[in-house]
Amino acid sequence: MAWATITLRGPLAAQKPAAGHARGSGAENFPQNPTFSHDVAAILYANCVQCHRPGGAGPISLITYEDAKRHARQIAVVTEKHFMPPWLPDPEVVSFADQIHLTEKQIRILGRWAEQGAAPGDLSQAPPVPQLAAGWRTGKPDLILTAPAGYVLPAEGSDVYHNFVFKILVEGTHYVKAVEIHPGNPKVVHHANILIDRAHSAERMEARHPGSGPGFDGMDVEMESDVFEPEGHFIYWKPGTPVWSEPENMTWRLSPGTDLVLNIHMRPSGKPEPIQPSLGIYFLDKQPTLKPMLLQFDRDDALDIPAGARNFEVADDFKLPLAVSVYAVYPHAHYLGKQLEAYAVLPDGSRKWLLMIRDWDPAWQGIYRYPQPVSLPAGTVISMHYTYDNSDENPRNPNDPPKRVTAGNRATDEMAHLSLQVVPAGPSRGGDLRLVLQEALARHKLARDPNDYGANYNLGALLLSRGQPADATFYFERSLTQRPDSATVLNSLGAALLQSGRMENAMTRLQQAVAADPEYVDAHYNLASALALSGRFGESAQQFKWVIERKPEDADAEARLGSVLAAQQNYDMAEAHLRRALILDPNNTVAKENLRLLEQLRSRTNDHAR
Amino acid sequence: MAVPRMGLALACFVANALCFCAWATASQQLPLDLAGRAVDPFAAGSKLTVLVFVRTDCPLSNRYAPEIQHLARRYASHGVNFWLVYPDNAETPAGIQEHLAAYGYTLPALRDAHHFLVRMAEATVTPEAAVFRGSKLLYHGRIDNRVQDFGQTRVVVTAHDLEDAIAAALDNKPIPPAVQAVGCYISDLR
Repeated sequence: MAWATITLRGPLAAQKPAAGHARGSGAENFPQNPTFSHDVAAILYANCVQCHRPGGAGPISLITYEDAKRHARQIAVVTEKHFMPPWLPDPEVVSFADQIHLTEKQIRILGRWAEQGAAPGDLSQAPPVPQLAAGWRTGKPDLILTAPAGYVLPAEGSDVYHNFVFKILVEGTHYVKAVEIHPGNPKVVHHANILIDRAHSAERMEARHPGSGPGFDGMDVEMESDVFEPEGHFIYWKPGTPVWSEPENMTWRLSPGTDLVLNIHMRPSGKPEPIQPSLGIYFLDKQPTLKPMLLQFDRDDALDIPAGARNFEVADDFKLPLAVSVYAVYPHAHYLGKQLEAYAVLPDGSRKWLLMIRDWDPAWQGIYRYPQPVSLPAGTVISMHYTYDNSDENPRNPNDPPKRVTAGNRATDEMAHLSLQVVPAGPSRGGDLRLVLQEALARHKLARDPNDYGANYNLGALLLSRGQPADATFYFERSLTQRPDSATVLNSLGAALLQSGRMENAMTRLQQAVAADPEYVDAHYNLASALALSGRFGESAQQFKWVIERKPEDADAEARLGSVLAAQQNYDMAEAHLRRALILDPNNTVAKENLRLLEQLRSRTNDHAR
Repeated sequence: MAVPRMGLALACFVANALCFCAWATASQQLPLDLAGRAVDPFAAGSKLTVLVFVRTDCPLSNRYAPEIQHLARRYASHGVNFWLVYPDNAETPAGIQEHLAAYGYTLPALRDAHHFLVRMAEATVTPEAAVFRGSKLLYHGRIDNRVQDFGQTRVVVTAHDLEDAIAAALDNKPIPPAVQAVGCYISDLR
């Protein structure tokens, strides 16, 4: 393999915790004849019935004695095999908040109970059934979004990954503290992830993949995001996990024009299942003071897994340029992923485990939050180490016989991703420390692979946002060599060229962007700007009008259309659009400035007339 | 389907000197159709009889509904009769009707509250399939290898055990060895 990597697998590997669980003897207080009332109900109520209840996400109810007895041996077997409750990380290595985990003693009680015939005990003495509220568990949402009806999960076949796009109709900017995801049909949905899409990326993808019903299939969706505001939040649902409320100082922004994309993983149940998810959004109109970011590692470049390989390894080591607090971790691989590890080696040589999954299963993937943020000083090396099983002994292998697998978005491709939610610590000196991390990460990836599409693109976007369009152009051009037809790259490259004053080249790239994706609003906007700057006001006005038709709330487009009309001496229309821009955004500087100029022009014209 | 009653009980108990008493006991234990009539699924004169054990609240057997239907349709013209068997004594005919409709089953369903068929088929879990010639058990085990273990579902099915057993039985070839099915334990339904 052509990449070089610092691996820390030597002597440190010996410290790796052993598999398996410590077995306390516990003989002194182990119930010899466990009963439902005395022993079993408490275990089920604390760990199982969040899902296993009527209307819950689990297929079987375990609320009453009769319910539990009807599945006694099954309960014993699935808990003994650690299949239930579903929790991938090894709790002996890293404990997470909200983890669902039975102790060995609890598992033995369930086993003994089933073995001895599932005795009820004195049912009048059974603990009270926990009350689980139906409807919105977080209270009445401030905003409810419901997907259009019409999507039906087929009765049979493999797992399906589907994306629903929610258009947000809010007035003004809000700050979100929680999103309660109702997956629509919890019995078939395994997990659901929300992506914040400020660039209508998913909407354009949906338009390109017309299927039956709303949304589009796909395991992974690529979002364009505004680098000024890296989306640093995990918004997530999986069975049995309570709704996550952000700390008061870590809300996130929701403004008009933002789309939320719900990526859901479903398993066919044997009958057609209509799926209509909805989201309950809770505002806390308080701007965040702590701004997290997602530190996203990947070794997709190293994924070229030969058919039959049983233990294919990829690794990455990244040295933190500044101190961070780690709040949560999200590992991601597809069906061949086996053991997924992440750890940090601190400057003093000590090691902190961040994650250990011994038997990865994408069906039960999750976001894992640390009970307390993990502090990592500057100079800490964060390592991910993943193994893959591409042999026919991996029951999840999507190919029979196994075949060579490389990286990609389809379920039959592979991935090696690790996202950490971090908040940079330390003095900011006026700048956003997240950009420092973002840049270090992009350069880390480029040092390994100068042609890395994502790293080139991200670094370009970062430099553009920092006012270095000429440098940005270099990286966008390199990312374009990987995806020559990408409307996203063409548009960003066009924008960078435009800001560098290279008008001709900018125009060419933006025209290519629009040709590659005729529905790409931002590319039309940039093309309109380029046309205006070239003095082609008529064509520019056409483009801005097209943008406004699609995004009627776009104050910038209104302001610029007004300016172009003014340049064409169409003052009345110009004024109308400039005023509309100010209604949409009272602080729009372009609109303000041009209105002022317009008034001057008019008073001068009036003077002449007099 | 018109089915002569009690044929199965006779087949089992005809050699018994206490035939009449055993008969009386047995008759209360026979599988019933959804109208409450005792049914002998082996008496229809088909080449092979396939019993598929399912329950309404077992996600593992539910997920197999489309596959069970496909197999039943594929082999109907070969003289193979499929029956769904519900071994759950707590299940009502109405509940089963509802279940059949929800999963698009068109197969005949039997309630086997006393596990008469469970014992004949040596079935232990749902879903589990059993293949009979007459009332002779030829195969019982998993339908295919989709479910490897609890929580381990194959993305690609590579062994079609039930179909192989049916095909072998129709060709009068040796039946391939059975593999234990993974599913909801029938022993929990007591």
